Amino acid sequence: MMPRRPASPTAFAVALMCLGMAQATQAAESESWGVGAVLDVAHTSRGLALGQREKGLQLGHSDVSAAGPLGQALEARFTVAAHAHDGKVEAELEEAYVQTRCLPAGLQVRAGRFPSQIGYLNEQHPHADDFVERPLLYRAFLGGHWFDDGFRVNWTAPTPFYLRTGLEVFTGKQLVQEASRARSPGAVTLSAKLGDDWGKSHSWQLGAAWVHNRREAALEEEGSEGGEAGHDHAHDHAHAHGAAFSGRNMVLLDAAWKWAPDGNNRDQQLKVVGEWARVSGINRFARTRDRHEAQSLMAVWRWSAAWETGVRLDWLKARSPHDDHFHNVRLREQSVMVAYKPTHAQTVRLQLSSQSGAVGVEGAAKRSVQLHYVLSFGAHGAHSF
Amino acid sequence: MRTASDALLAKTGGRQPLRWRAWLAAGLCAWVTGAAAQVPTVFACEPEWAALVRVMLPQAKVHVATHARQDPHHIEARPALIAQLRSADLAVCTGAALEAGWLPMLQQRAANPRVQDGQPGMFYAADHASLIDPQPATLNPFAGDVHPEGNPHLHTDPRRLAEVAEALSERLGHIWPAQAAAIAQRQAVWARQWQVHTERWAAAGRAWKGRQVAAQHTTFGYLWHWLGVEMVADLEPKPGMPPTPGHLGALREHLTVKPPAAIVVASYQDDRSARWLAQQLRGRSPVVVLPATVDDPLQPDALVIWFDGLLSRLLAAQPGGG
Repeated sequence: MMPRRPASPTAFAVALMCLGMAQATQAAESESWGVGAVLDVAHTSRGLALGQREKGLQLGHSDVSAAGPLGQALEARFTVAAHAHDGKVEAELEEAYVQTRCLPAGLQVRAGRFPSQIGYLNEQHPHADDFVERPLLYRAFLGGHWFDDGFRVNWTAPTPFYLRTGLEVFTGKQLVQEASRARSPGAVTLSAKLGDDWGKSHSWQLGAAWVHNRREAALEEEGSEGGEAGHDHAHDHAHAHGAAFSGRNMVLLDAAWKWAPDGNNRDQQLKVVGEWARVSGINRFARTRDRHEAQSLMAVWRWSAAWETGVRLDWLKARSPHDDHFHNVRLREQSVMVAYKPTHAQTVRLQLSSQSGAVGVEGAAKRSVQLHYVLSFGAHGAHSF
Repeated sequence: MRTASDALLAKTGGRQPLRWRAWLAAGLCAWVTGAAAQVPTVFACEPEWAALVRVMLPQAKVHVATHARQDPHHIEARPALIAQLRSADLAVCTGAALEAGWLPMLQQRAANPRVQDGQPGMFYAADHASLIDPQPATLNPFAGDVHPEGNPHLHTDPRRLAEVAEALSERLGHIWPAQAAAIAQRQAVWARQWQVHTERWAAAGRAWKGRQVAAQHTTFGYLWHWLGVEMVADLEPKPGMPPTPGHLGALREHLTVKPPAAIVVASYQDDRSARWLAQQLRGRSPVVVLPATVDDPLQPDALVIWFDGLLSRLLAAQPGGG
């Protein structure tokens, strides 16, 4: 699956604007394109409900990417990602965007295909994750990680602390792949991030985002309705694309706090991240109480330069639509992991996960053991906070 | 529940919000337009560059991204650093991929056109001095953190530091032309004094010429090169990889025959591996913890104080063996 899109007129407009503004420069400093690849494989004893890793040894989110400057005014990134799905390897264009680096007053425009900047994790590449699977929140509401076609305008405030606000306009086709009703643009996000340090050892970041989704998901498997299974629909099969539970509006809040003695995070660091999301307006039949909610809380402790251990708790409450009514969906998930990272380029991770309290979800795994290996070649982009 | 501001609103007949908004708008405008006219703002990736800026442009507001107890390879693109880079007119960094794990993300998030690569406002020290130990570029993920450009820790060679200072003074003068003459003059004074100190340090360090050391990482590679000290062992099995028991065991075998004059670690490194090795060599090789960079870059003479301390700690180490 390699959807292509024509270069957007917005991109050209921005490029022209930047070229006009680019200042005459001195000697070109070391500027070049970096090419890198990530190999991600995991062995899973039992696939998790709403999970993205299937049983057995499988290729995870592996990618090849190239990033670099396009003149003084722009920079670009391309990423093609592949993963195993239903016994086949699927490849898709995950990132293909140009971004300004010349606009004044803290403004920045990006156009093309790229991950949305909502939430704490969505914009991070999955190979930098601390756990084998993304939080339930992401798997249920964002298809693991949500990238889409569109453009973004960001503003970073000239404040002594970090404050960034942003608007994104997307086609929304990667969030809700099959829509029964859709308007254009399919999805709009507004988001803000706020962050700073406390002394030498602490740093924090808060985020808030609102996603307005104008594509109403088509009801699944209407043909099987009234069959022998009755109301027991197969709505939980692990599909890696699109949101399993969607709605017109989503509010996402996230908070991250990190601590390292003297700020020297090489040898020791504690990282705590919490995220919460609520999705409302599931479809035209939904009442106010028909909404989805998910939370995630994780803590990761780096106790030596090469070793990390972490715990994550996930909760999901959703209302699964069936014709004009809804069924309850409930799931809890607990994960514990230990990771060995001898260098930047390698991670070996052992994770134990357990799902409980499942209502309306098939295939909840009481116990699942996952062994995960990530290997990076060449240049891989700097990581965000 | 009525709050105090609600009461105030009621009293002024609701005109208060407008005035508030006007104040806010005026404040924002002053902030945005005032940014360029304000005091020169410099973002320094490492304290040694902050100290140099301080010498040449004392009135500048200098943000220092890291300090002597932080490993500059492993900094995170923290929100506070993005905000600092956002306001900078000039960023002074080492380059040669030392900051590859965090600076590009800061540049992207700060959305500050002045400090993007290729602009005069982005100064890399490594572009203005020759680097030792360039490595062939490799895609091999098992090779460790290889810097194809060469060893980036060039500030531990006083001669290279002086070369960078000269290039930096030109860059500062280019960005603040009104100050150019004063900057050049301060640089010239500093360079003369630094030359005198360099000769003094070279004379003091002569005792160590030809000696052998073991060290964790090539943090002081330029210092060894300058003093004529030979680094015979690296506690890291691969560049950037923390010491492993297997590698330390092999080093013990190898170094017992001829113990090095010292086992050197930087102030930001965990010294447990070095202490273990020193114990295994029965104290014949003392552990020396050297400050990786200046302690307080805003202090006058910060660089001289740092280098004096660095050298005296090294020279104070008494090799027990031969």
